[in-house]
Amino acid sequence: MTRRLSRSLPVDLGLVAALAVVLLASLFGGSFLRPYDAPELEPSPALLPVYLLRSLARLGVAYAAALVLALAVGHLAARSPTARRFILPTLDVLQSVPILGFFPAAVGLFIGVFGGSALGVEVAAVFLVFTCMFWNLAFGVYESLLTLPEDLQMAATQFGVRGPLRWSRLILPSVLPTLLYNSLLSWANGWYFLIASEIIAVGPARYTLPGLGSYLAQAVIAGRHDRTLLALGLLVATTVAMHLLLWSPLDTWAERFHLEETGDHPRTPRVARVLGRSRIVRGITRSLVIPLGQQALGVAGRVLDFVGRHGRAVGILVALGLPAAMAYGGYGLYGLFSGRPLAPEVLGLPLDLFSSFVRVSLGVVLSAALAVPLAHRISRSPERRATAVAVIQILASVPATAFFPLIAVVVTWGLGMNAAAVLLALSAMFWYVLFNVVGAAAAIPKDLVEVARGLGLGGAGYMRRVFVPAVAPGLVTGCVTAWGAGWNAMILCEYLETGGRVLSVRGVGATLARATYVTGDMQVVAASLASMVLLIILVNRLFWGPLYRQVAARCKMEA
Amino acid sequence: MAQTTPRAAPVVLRLEGVEQLYDGKIRILGPLDLEVRDGEFLSLVGPSGCGKSTLLRIVAGLLRPTGGVVRLRDRPLGGVNRSAAMVFQSFALFPWLSVVENVAVGLEAQGVGIRERLKKAEKYIDLVGLSGYERAFPRELSRGMKQLVGLARALAVEPELLCMDEPFSALDVLTARTMRDLVLDLWASPAVTTKSILLVTHSIEEAVAMSDRVVVLKANPGRIAETVELKALPRPRRSDAPAVRETVDRMYALLA
Ligand SMILES: Nc1ncnc2c1ncn2[C@@H]1O[C@H](COP(=O)(O)OP(=O)(O)OP(=O)(O)O)[C@@H](O)[C@H]1O
Ligand SMILES: [Mg+2]
Repeated sequence: MTRRLSRSLPVDLGLVAALAVVLLASLFGGSFLRPYDAPELEPSPALLPVYLLRSLARLGVAYAAALVLALAVGHLAARSPTARRFILPTLDVLQSVPILGFFPAAVGLFIGVFGGSALGVEVAAVFLVFTCMFWNLAFGVYESLLTLPEDLQMAATQFGVRGPLRWSRLILPSVLPTLLYNSLLSWANGWYFLIASEIIAVGPARYTLPGLGSYLAQAVIAGRHDRTLLALGLLVATTVAMHLLLWSPLDTWAERFHLEETGDHPRTPRVARVLGRSRIVRGITRSLVIPLGQQALGVAGRVLDFVGRHGRAVGILVALGLPAAMAYGGYGLYGLFSGRPLAPEVLGLPLDLFSSFVRVSLGVVLSAALAVPLAHRISRSPERRATAVAVIQILASVPATAFFPLIAVVVTWGLGMNAAAVLLALSAMFWYVLFNVVGAAAAIPKDLVEVARGLGLGGAGYMRRVFVPAVAPGLVTGCVTAWGAGWNAMILCEYLETGGRVLSVRGVGATLARATYVTGDMQVVAASLASMVLLIILVNRLFWGPLYRQVAARCKMEA
Repeated sequence: MAQTTPRAAPVVLRLEGVEQLYDGKIRILGPLDLEVRDGEFLSLVGPSGCGKSTLLRIVAGLLRPTGGVVRLRDRPLGGVNRSAAMVFQSFALFPWLSVVENVAVGLEAQGVGIRERLKKAEKYIDLVGLSGYERAFPRELSRGMKQLVGLARALAVEPELLCMDEPFSALDVLTARTMRDLVLDLWASPAVTTKSILLVTHSIEEAVAMSDRVVVLKANPGRIAETVELKALPRPRRSDAPAVRETVDRMYALLA
């Protein structure tokens, strides 16, 4: 998922500052986190389908918005070098910022905007999900448009293919395969964050956000394991059904949109390879997706052309609004820190950061240590790989956040909160590493494997001399993404309130949660968010970026 | 065919002092003047990198020249040249559209209704000899067939000027020869309204076999070195005919 590291630190920092400041600015509206009487969810399992639908609706709205905007923005970035210079760093920051940390701020902002109504919480959750879906899709659009052959674009221009027709005949088809693959990731991500925000709503924040996540959290708090299992089962069933009924048929259809001359790109492993043989998938593909697909492309073309034509106005609005918001937020921040002495929590932040850092790093190391041998086993035969990838991909799209309320259960087993936190962070991080390593392993040339066999390199020798170097770039990419995911997990798993009991460990996530939900100290919120983002960006730039470049230079497969 | 064209034929397209610079200083083309007459088969030959493709893009309105003007029947060309259609060396077919959809794409862009554009597409698919392949996708076709689709797509918009950028160089020798004969047949056929053709090629034999006139370009920057009138050379031109061989030899000497 993480595709780029690098570029200039100042631009990143500026953007992070803008992002932080805009969201923090909203905290001063006065409406922030004033808990209101959120009614308990009706716990009857009969209502589970309703909760599921509400969660799905949030995801659907966020996805639709993310899709349209990602297409418009990705297309703009591919076409205009000026726009590219702003868009790419913004996406880059979005992918490395712990979005979950901004949830309280977003809730504050939207509750303010919607005059204190519960709609504000809904919009905040959708906005959060939108943000985490968007960058991934936009990168996908941008990168697949870069590989669109120039001659094809010229042919389209020459034959007068422009406006909506250009979208539906040229741009959308050419980005469709990548877009679908990234949609899968985006949905997995979206589920993750949606469940998280629903859990936060039930836990410390006490808002109304009825959905599968809040039902889960409430069931765990109430100690009703039967309901917890039921909700988890429904979630898993939903993810599997989405693969079977939606993604795989779409993917099978999208096969025809692959450009012929892209042999240099190793095809992404796809669930559809395996599921595509099933009768259900083929049936849906033939009877629904193919007939509706062309119509859908036409409609989408018209929508995107409309958005594209009004893109300039939006751009100008953003360009004018951003500095104003920054000034306002900066003024607020200044007041926050100049008006009174630093809170003791702020002074404790370095140690908090360090504890969280150790936890996240441990998660990365463990993920890598588990993923490499597993990927090696999986990759030994192509058939086994296809099946394994399908299974893993479906497993990975079950949002790990759904298991977070179980911390309480794990802790009661006597494992301790620290171990529970690392374990849960691991469940969010491991997949990224595994996917990237399996992808890299699939690209190892067969000749190389055979030569190694011929030389008698087996077992440990093969691992050390062939496998690990070959997957090293993928491993690093996976670790970077896992590292980002780990920080998000910290926000959720370092502090937990269940039925009057508070479970927490020392860490920046816990400090952030306590400040937002318990003490309401804005100075601490601002300082912990800012320092966390700063640390993440710094480590990305100073450690992961250089590491990736070095590994890529040394271990890249020459074509 | 060529003989039916009146003597002082009107000009379809005229380039006046056209030049192309990159980064405002590296001159890769021109300034040069060139005209394509009504009903004329004009070829551009020249060494690799002399700017043939660039010139063709300028003619098609895909690239705005940094200097000079392109005139279509005396009107200066602003954007894309709607009275021209292009055949690409790389075929540039839409991989996700069927043969008939590919051929009809220009008509669709012009807003021609589905019934009429399908009828027209069928007609040109038939003319290039691809009937029966309407529903096939490009990936299912051989290279030669792909280029036939490219040709049908260009002819289907019934352009005044057909531009072809090395259309046969990605094909094997035999297929290329068949394609050349097909283009000449279509050019002569009353079923095809397009009568002016601008062909870019690096093969002198090809230019001599096909054209009324050959413009020889030289490189650095791309300029016109020589214009050779071949109207008098009788058609059909067999490559082993003495007159043809003598012309080819003369042109090799010019280029050397
Ligand atoms: N975008 C560009 N920037 C700088 N130089 C360019 C650019 N595009 C083309 N050129 C240069 O312009 C010159 C002419 O290119 P062009 O493709 O028109 O040549 P050509 O005659 O078609 O060559 P070939 O026979 O190889 O197809 C070449 O030297 C090329 O390097
Ligand atoms: Mg060329």
